[in-house]
Parts: sequence; C-alpha cells; structure tokens
Amino acid sequence: MDTEERATFSTVAEHWMVRGGGIDVEVASPGAFRTEEMILNIGPQHPSTHGVLRIVLELDGERIVRAEPVIGYMHRAAEKLSEFRDARQVLVLMNRHDWLSAFNNELGWVIAVERSAGIEVPERAQWIRTMMAEWNRILNHLMFTGSFPLELGAMTPMFYAFREREMIQHLMESATGARMHHSYARVGGLKDDLPRGFLKESAEVLKWVRKKLKDFEDLIMGNEIIFARTKGVGVLPPQTAIAYGCSGPVLQGSGVPMDPRKDEPYEKYAEVDFDVPVGMTGDCYDRLWVLVQRMWESCKIIEQCMEKLPASEYIAPKLPKTLNLQGEIYVRTENPLGLMGYYLVGDGKRYPYRMKMRTASFSNVSVIPAMLPGTLVPDLIAILGSIFFVVGDIDR
Amino acid sequence: MAIEEKDVRRRKSSGLAIGQGLIKGLGVTLKHMLRPAVTQQYPEEKPDLPPRTRGVIALKEANCTVCWKCSRECPDWCIYIEAHKETHDPAGGGRARSVKVLDRFAIDYALCMYCGICVEVCPFDALFWSPEFEYATFDIVEMTHEKEKLEEWTYTVPPPPPLEQGAQEGAGG
Repeated sequence: MDTEERATFSTVAEHWMVRGGGIDVEVASPGAFRTEEMILNIGPQHPSTHGVLRIVLELDGERIVRAEPVIGYMHRAAEKLSEFRDARQVLVLMNRHDWLSAFNNELGWVIAVERSAGIEVPERAQWIRTMMAEWNRILNHLMFTGSFPLELGAMTPMFYAFREREMIQHLMESATGARMHHSYARVGGLKDDLPRGFLKESAEVLKWVRKKLKDFEDLIMGNEIIFARTKGVGVLPPQTAIAYGCSGPVLQGSGVPMDPRKDEPYEKYAEVDFDVPVGMTGDCYDRLWVLVQRMWESCKIIEQCMEKLPASEYIAPKLPKTLNLQGEIYVRTENPLGLMGYYLVGDGKRYPYRMKMRTASFSNVSVIPAMLPGTLVPDLIAILGSIFFVVGDIDR
Repeated sequence: MAIEEKDVRRRKSSGLAIGQGLIKGLGVTLKHMLRPAVTQQYPEEKPDLPPRTRGVIALKEANCTVCWKCSRECPDWCIYIEAHKETHDPAGGGRARSVKVLDRFAIDYALCMYCGICVEVCPFDALFWSPEFEYATFDIVEMTHEKEKLEEWTYTVPPPPPLEQGAQEGAGG
C-alpha cells in the first residue's frame, strides 16, 4: 500500500490491510453509545515476538476487536533455494528456518530424502538421532520456558534456563561441532559417531537438567502471579485449535493428544516409552505446563536412548554417489514447536523437483486472529508468548 | 494409529494453598543467590571448546590438488579457487607431467554457513576444521581470507577425539 492511498482512509473499518480473517466482535449494539476503534501496530520489532512478526490490532479502548498477523518480513525462500541444490546441501538450509530446533529440522529432511531415495539407516545412527532430537527439544523448550515468564515480567527464569541451555549446547557441540546449526544428520546416517565421554557427560547434564526442571516448577508453575497472568487467559478451544491446524504444545495445551512420535513413529520413537502431556482448559498456563512436561518426557527418552544404544555403523556402508529422488513423499515429524512436514517431489534427479515445508509456527500463528479478539492488550503479550513460535519458521 | 489413553497424561489441579507457590519460588531464588555465578568472563577467560567445534576452515596448501570439489559442493559457493597448469619435466627424463598449481584459495566467511561439506568432500585431506573463532572484522570485505591466512589456521587444528564405546572405527562412507 502506498502512502497516498493510506492518507485517504477515514475510518478503520475500511482499512483493508487488516481484513481477511479474524472474528468480528460486536462491541456495541447499533444506536447505542459507540466508540471509535484505533489501529495499533505491534511489531515488527517487539521483544515478545521472537523476531519480526507484525500484528495489526484494532482496539476499542484496551479491548482487542480484531487482530491480524502480518508475516513475511523474514522470508528467505528456503523452499525455492532447495530446488537448486543437492539434497545433501539442502540440509544446511533446513537447519536454519527454525533456528531453535535445528536438529529436528534436519532430521525430518534426511528422513524424507532417505525414504525418497530408498536408503537404509543403521540402528546406532537411528538411536543417536533420536537422542539428539530430544536434546534439541529440551534446548528449544528451555528457551521458551525462559522467555515466556520474561515477557510477563519475571526475569529470573530466563537466566536459569540459559544456564542449562549452555550446558546442553556444550554437550551437543562436543558431538556435532556447532552450538546452534548442528548439521549432524547425514543422508544415510550421521556425520560422525559420538566422541568418547559423550554418554557420561550426557548422563551428568541430564541429571542436572532434571534437578533444575524441578527448581523451575517450584519457581514458576505454582506462582500466584503467573496464575493471575495466565490462567483463563487466551483460552483456545480444541475445535478451534484443530480447525486452524495447530500442533505441538498449542494443540496439546488445548487437550488434544496428537503427536507424530506416537501416531506414526519415525526413527526409534516406537521403542521408547513416553507420555503425551495434555492440558485441561487450553489457556496460557496449560501451554506452559505442556512445555515443561514435554521436557520431562524428553529426559525419559534420552535416558532410554543412552541405555539402548547398540554398537554398529553410524552411517550406511553403501551410499549412492548421486542421489536419485523418486516420486512424492510426505514426512511428518514432531518438532519442538509442533508438526513439521516435508513434502518432497523428486523426478529422478539429485535435487528436489519441488519441496514444500509445513512448519508448525505458521499454523500456530494463524490462530491469532481467532484467539485475540475480546482480550485485553496486556493479555496479548501473554498469549503471543504462549503460542511459542519462531519467526524464521513462519516465513521460511 | 491413534494415541492410546495410557500414553496421555492430563493436567490435574495443583492443590497448593494460596501463597504457598510464591514462598516456594522465593526459596528457589534464595538457594540460587547463595551459589557462585556461572558466567564466563569471556575476553579474559577463554571458552573451553571441544575439538570438533566448527570455528574456521583451515587449508593445508601442500595437500590441495586443485580438484574444485569443495567449491562445487559448497551450498552457497563461498570458496574461490584460481589455478594454472604447469608442465614439469621429470628429472630422470621421460614424459612431461602437467600439474595444477594453486594461485588463489579464498573462503568468504561472510557467506560461509559453516556446514562442513567442503571439509567432508575433500579427497586429499587439505581442509580441516579449527575451533579458532576470533576473526571478526569491522568490514565485510575483510571476511574473505586468502590461503596464507587459511594455512596459518592449520596450526590450531586439534587431533580428532576418540570415539564413544560401541562405535565402529573406519565404518561409514
């Protein structure tokens, strides 16, 4: 929209930019005393948005009448770029769209390529992948359990969460070589086997994380101020969550047990024992609770992976020199933030003919127009913080 | 396959009395207050990086045969190689051999995504990862490092770590 056009707008009702979605809330009956709505932009640079998400709000006093997320500020064309690269090079791009769950992203991608090219993965590699994916899940969830209270005004949990994150990042760096963009999974297995001492350090870190999770629960999960800010705020009914395609903690917080790790287990998730935590009412507190419980479950999975780790190769001994991607394949995995899908179309070449990503944050953020109307502006921060999204994951 | 009910854990009410949660939380902060700080004072105190850390790519020029494999496999084409051919007459007579001589090998670290594909595809072990990371510059053009600088970094490359139990040495492709 150019500036000339913008100047002609007289009433907010004509503001077409905020149209196209959202639920209208009748704030006053016709003929009665009426106030005029105000348009307020939240973002693109707002600390509670984890990147550059912009939300256009239509306000009636402090009540939100309409909310519309404006996305695309961080579009990096990962899908298009991957059409011009070898499927093994694409791994680097897949690492980066959701920078907080890099290993889970690359895991989904290599599974898609392996299924498309018909490559078998050794047992040990699968177990290590499962373990690393769960470590990455804890990393991601620690970030959000730290930042969500921070957005509500509690600063302490962030520092505690980052201390644990630092330990896990060091652990993952010792195996993968990087703190964030691991690039550890390879088509057919892994880049390298675990270094000596990894399992010992892993057990120590796991013990520490469990101790600190307990501390975190004492600090936040029973806190009356957190209750006041989150309980009954931003209630997302299960029907709405399903209708908008929500997944991960957002959907589970609404009480719907959906988890691809259970539905159609990939890697070794069928052989490990874990629960799917679901919330009671679907408010902000439930989503935070689900996040914390998922960390406990991840700890359980990591423990089982360390016990069951067999001795074998870390990468398939015979790999084709050039990949031959055949047919269409859709792989869905459970990313920390929700359902991650890779739709890969191959036409017998080594690079994908077309690749489509279904990212969790995109669908989770799309529920904002249905969730925000009727709430107050201070609650907006609590709701946005509890949707748990990464903007790179929305725009890819 | 739907999730069985035994695998689902639903939230129950906490059953805490009013004010109890706050006091518990304050207890946690008090406990942490008495602990020593975990902050690493970075410029004074160097971080303890594992040997696999992907800090910078080092080049052993003597091993490079100018096969262009790394620059071709690089996902964002940040490796620049220039070379020319020379004909060498063997000392004891015989057929002359043509050799490729490396003129320029530069990596643009402003573009590099630190994926390590170049290091993996190198067939003659000319590229290595070094945990060295302190090469930030004020100007983006200075991020392109030539082969002399890359050679210097080879002296910071640590030996690869031994593998975990159960790992099969020499496995994989």
